[in-house]
Amino acid sequence: MRSPVMTALAIAAGLIVLLGYLIPPEWTSLAYIQAVRAIFIGWAVVLAGIAAWVGVIHLFLTHLRRMTARRDADRYSVLVVLAFLVTAAAGMILTPADPRFQQAVLAIQVPVEATLLGLLAVTLVFASMRLFQRRKGVMAVVFVISAVFFLLLGAGLLMPLQEMPLPGALIGFFERLPVAGGRGILIGIALGSLMTGLRILLGADRPYSG
Amino acid sequence: MMEWVWMIAGVVLTLMVFSYIFGDNFLFRVATYLFVGVAAGYLFVVVFYQVLMPRLVEPILLGTMGERVLAVVPLLGAALLLFKISPRLAFLGKAPMAFLVGVGAAVAIGGSVFGTLLGQVNAAGAPFRSGSGILEGLLALIGAVGVLAYFQFSTPARASLSGEVPKRPAWLEALAWVGQIFLGITLGALFSGVLIASITALLDRVQAILLLLARLLS
Repeated sequence: MRSPVMTALAIAAGLIVLLGYLIPPEWTSLAYIQAVRAIFIGWAVVLAGIAAWVGVIHLFLTHLRRMTARRDADRYSVLVVLAFLVTAAAGMILTPADPRFQQAVLAIQVPVEATLLGLLAVTLVFASMRLFQRRKGVMAVVFVISAVFFLLLGAGLLMPLQEMPLPGALIGFFERLPVAGGRGILIGIALGSLMTGLRILLGADRPYSG
Repeated sequence: MMEWVWMIAGVVLTLMVFSYIFGDNFLFRVATYLFVGVAAGYLFVVVFYQVLMPRLVEPILLGTMGERVLAVVPLLGAALLLFKISPRLAFLGKAPMAFLVGVGAAVAIGGSVFGTLLGQVNAAGAPFRSGSGILEGLLALIGAVGVLAYFQFSTPARASLSGEVPKRPAWLEALAWVGQIFLGITLGALFSGVLIASITALLDRVQAILLLLARLLS
């Protein structure tokens, strides 16, 4: 059921924080809005931290349930539960700043993350080849040419050409071309965030009511 | 001694993840489940020490009267939000969630307007203000507008009501075509960047395996 009180709370909190953005610091008579905004953002940071805890605890409980299920118990979930308990207990006792704790966590996180990123290299090459085989449009051709060009540039293979005046200037020009598309993508993302935020502040979207 | 233990653990985990080349298997699953558990535990600890301790626990235990009063609200909100863990009592967490979403939406609006939109529009206009590199600036502007046009999918209400296939105006279609080319260039550049980064990571792990082998043999 949609609660008008919760909607009012979300809109009021959001509008006060938004007002804080719009009021210039020179307007000292409205400085209290800036102070309230800072307090609200501080509270939101604490609540975001608790929301992260809720997510982690939910993950833990889900794996605990799957581990202890009478039918089709997930044996791998034991690893998640044990790893979580050991890491959380060690971290709470030693604190995250402790070098021993950091070394232990990094010894697991870095190899797994880096190897997954390494596997991505293989996957990306196959995916790009498949893309080019299936979708032979202007975009696919431009994509491949651009990818090969920037791969050569990143590998330093165009270095001799870059030192010559005319080819160097041309390479410099092509190097700056992605800025245009990147700017369009960034503006698109910003417009999307703006619309989503406005829909929440206008009460059209209520993701908290579920 | 401990350095050896972590080095061997790193190489073993690397080989376990590499085993995914032969498809999803026991070793890959063990490595990824372990990773998820450790990452979740690390997040739990970091949130406590970096967020909750300085912003909630310390003000309540060691703060002035004013700080304690201000900390009561997030404390109450945190307590209510924790009820989200239980499906039956999850409704109690609606109020702090509404507050969080409202503040988050305002921060997102502020960030997108002042952080991205104004910054990017300002950067797009810079060559015209300074007078240098106008042609390149114009090309970048056409590219950015073209990319935005490419992602324009809305159609006039009349077209969808009458049942005919909705189509964009010719000028918008042309602009979107130009945008498609710029998007291809940008995605190609991004792709090559990710590929180079992932190949570097791959080489780093191969080097770790070879380093361990060399140390074991020497």
